[in-house]
Amino acid sequence: MSGAMEADRPTPCLPGERPRPVSPNIQNYRPQLTSVLSILNRVTGLLLSVCAVMLVVWLVAGAAGPQAYAAVQGAISSWIGRIVLFGATLAFFFHLCGGIRHLVWDSVHGFELRSIYISGWAVVAATLALTAAAWIAGGIMGR
Amino acid sequence: MTTRSMIIDSSDQAPRTTLMKRFPVPRRFHTTAQSRIQRGRTWPAPSGATRVKAFEIYRYDPEQAGNPRLDTFEVDLDDCGPMVLDALFWIKNKVDPTLTFRRSCREGICGSCAMTMDGTNWLACTRFISDTATPATIYPLANMPVIKDLVPDTSHLAAQYEMIEPWLHSKTPEPDKERLQSPTERARLDGYYECILCFCCTSGCPSHWWNADRFLGPAVLLQAWRWLADSRDEAKDERLDILEDPFRLYRCHTILNCTRTCPKGLNPGKAIAEIKRMVVERAI
Repeated sequence: MSGAMEADRPTPCLPGERPRPVSPNIQNYRPQLTSVLSILNRVTGLLLSVCAVMLVVWLVAGAAGPQAYAAVQGAISSWIGRIVLFGATLAFFFHLCGGIRHLVWDSVHGFELRSIYISGWAVVAATLALTAAAWIAGGIMGR
Repeated sequence: MTTRSMIIDSSDQAPRTTLMKRFPVPRRFHTTAQSRIQRGRTWPAPSGATRVKAFEIYRYDPEQAGNPRLDTFEVDLDDCGPMVLDALFWIKNKVDPTLTFRRSCREGICGSCAMTMDGTNWLACTRFISDTATPATIYPLANMPVIKDLVPDTSHLAAQYEMIEPWLHSKTPEPDKERLQSPTERARLDGYYECILCFCCTSGCPSHWWNADRFLGPAVLLQAWRWLADSRDEAKDERLDILEDPFRLYRCHTILNCTRTCPKGLNPGKAIAEIKRMVVERAI
């Protein structure tokens, strides 16, 4: 959301008239699957950038030696660490599935309203399924 | 939620059930001081009315001091036609003659009565009152400077429309007869030539909310594609030169609120994807 925003611009009006109000946009417009998935794609992309930094911290700790690695491993396996890791998994799979959806759109396919809604809900379902599968697989292998 | 409300087949399905009625942002979020909406007055139904429905309507009078306000009108449904536009007429004729709105054809072809009803854009003449919530909320088209009540100032959108030069450009000498088109070539314009420029899509586009000054918006880009797709037009390169810009075209992030809201059932989102593909095809 870069660039000049609507609220910053003076609203055009006749000379001598007081500035016109602007009708509400996000304050009143109904959230729909279309806009909600779009904003979630943005938010998860942002979160994944932060996660990338955390991944680097984990790798650097591994390279730095057993003591540093144990400290980071301890943080990850704490309750807060696990919640963060679970959120990161959700964000990763959501952004992945959303990205594939956008890739299909870029080839000008799937633009019928019905397809838009079906692919949207499919992204939601696939995100949940893949996240669950990843944690179940992680649990089995961790044993 | 039923499957019918989860999978939308056609844009004329009124939004009955969504998880939230509005985004969880403060009412004053991102608004100028003069845009903040205050509580207005209530206009009760005439005595004896049995089937009464409340309409919350955005009011703004440029000739009187004060901010916009939200008035509540109680409409006697037994005395009123079936459409939201009929309710607005009923209010104007029987309750408050100063209520101001645009209308002309009352059959969904002129695009004058586009407004935000229950949080989505549509034409008041083709939206059934029975498809609205209680109370129904009626605002002018979202994100527009307001002239009075439900009348938005769309001159910025008209200027953006002018920018894409929405007329036939030809370089070849004028033929003796009309410029011919095969049925297949003509069919490429289907789904695009029907646009009535009501600007429901542009007004409902979050990308246009944040970048209205530089992003052309779905309605204008659909029109741009209508001319790019025309076999008789001979200015494809120049048209693409105007469009190929980080903001004018590429601020479209395929949110697709436009396709969800088009009262003519058109597909601005697809038209924009077609333009993006044509830009790529030109480069390779």
